Amino acid sequence: MPRILPKVLQNLFRKPFTVKYPYVKRELPKGYRGRPAIDREKCIRCWLCIRACPDRAISIDRGTKTPSIWLGRCTFCGECAEVCPTKAIIMTEEFEYTTLYNVT
Amino acid sequence: MTFVLPVGPQHPSLKEPEFFRFEVKGEEIVDVDIRLGYAHRGIEEAFSRRNYKHNVYLAERICGICNVVHSTTYCQTIEQLAGIEPPERAKYIRTIIMELERIHSHLLWLGVAAHQIGFDTLFMLAWRDREEVMDMRELISGGRVHSATNTIGGVRRNVKLEHIPEMLRRLDKLEKSTGYYADLWGSDRTILARCSKVGVLSKDDAVKFCAVGPVARASNLKLDIRRNDPYGTYEALSFDVVTESEGDVWARGTVRLREILESIRIVRQALHELPSGPLRVPVELKIPPNETLERTEAPRGELVYYARSNGTETPERIRVRTPTYGNFASMKSMFIGGTVAEIPIVMWSIDPCFGCNDRATILDARTGKVSVVNFKQLKRWRR
Repeated sequence: MPRILPKVLQNLFRKPFTVKYPYVKRELPKGYRGRPAIDREKCIRCWLCIRACPDRAISIDRGTKTPSIWLGRCTFCGECAEVCPTKAIIMTEEFEYTTLYNVT
Repeated sequence: MTFVLPVGPQHPSLKEPEFFRFEVKGEEIVDVDIRLGYAHRGIEEAFSRRNYKHNVYLAERICGICNVVHSTTYCQTIEQLAGIEPPERAKYIRTIIMELERIHSHLLWLGVAAHQIGFDTLFMLAWRDREEVMDMRELISGGRVHSATNTIGGVRRNVKLEHIPEMLRRLDKLEKSTGYYADLWGSDRTILARCSKVGVLSKDDAVKFCAVGPVARASNLKLDIRRNDPYGTYEALSFDVVTESEGDVWARGTVRLREILESIRIVRQALHELPSGPLRVPVELKIPPNETLERTEAPRGELVYYARSNGTETPERIRVRTPTYGNFASMKSMFIGGTVAEIPIVMWSIDPCFGCNDRATILDARTGKVSVVNFKQLKRWRR
């Protein structure tokens, strides 16, 4: 008899380990690095985030003269949120989105 | 009369591109030729175009599975280059995350190895338990895979006091299930039939072909950088270097499974002894001309980083030698004399990571000629 059979039978009669994802959502841990968001009111235009970004994903928006993040390049390292002196950039818990040339 | 059996570059037993040319006589393999370079991404050149701090994230992207060990080695190299000493607490946090990475890499190996020999139940179970490690890493670093925790001169994120009971609970669960898998790996008839005495690498061959990591340890070579050339906190922590004497696929699996148990021990100790103090020290990015070499023990074996600075904020040259590259030479002696059906599991037994491996080689595989292309030529072709 195969040695794993008891484990197989045990797993057959228990509830699934996976969650039904789009319907049931798992609670994210505190400090999760999701999509970065910019609070344009708080921005003091010091441009530290542009220098800190390893992927050159942050550029200056011509209209509002504030930084904007190209999410197609962003790697969610959180360096910009760390260097921001006024906490204008924060890492949100949002991870469901799609991007082509989408900027925040 | 021999026939040539090409395996790859598409899906040679795993979903990464590499070309293997087997010469077979009936069922028996008589010769093997390996051609590398299909996943070349030019990362070493990219290193010398960014500053030291941005390169931490580039080093992380060399390999997805072993990203923390890449960024830790890179940070240790640059710290050595600039003469910075990271704080004790940062070293402990690095150790915790690196060992969690070793656990998840070995569980991933176990799952895919079980899948290769047609044992899908074990595949599902191993990958289910791997989730515990991924959740732990998400708890500490805020990302399941890419931790982004390391930085030059320390770490960016702290292991908080409230994380520790949760982690210890998960480690207990993991230890129990890994013990079960180790027991199963040593006694199940399917596994023994498919893995025992397959792809044997003798101790002499392992020395001759410079095998590294679990492959060398399965051939009874006591070779572990954590013990032989201690870095970080490994001198202060107690653990055993696991060795097996058989040198076959089964021994490589046993070494990895027993290493998971050792890693769990290390994480527990590190969590227990976690010293208080600062997380990082301030760093001056302009590093005077200097060169250095640093090696660490990645889940797959010895990882070497070489760095040369030239007084500016960008390095002049970074060279990476990944463990998979070190193990390719010993593959030939594993394959010869075996059968065609053994190819996938023997190939997987060194835990190859071609994404890691193909950074530096430029080969012209179309004509069968191996030639080195210089940058000028590359530029001309681009147009």
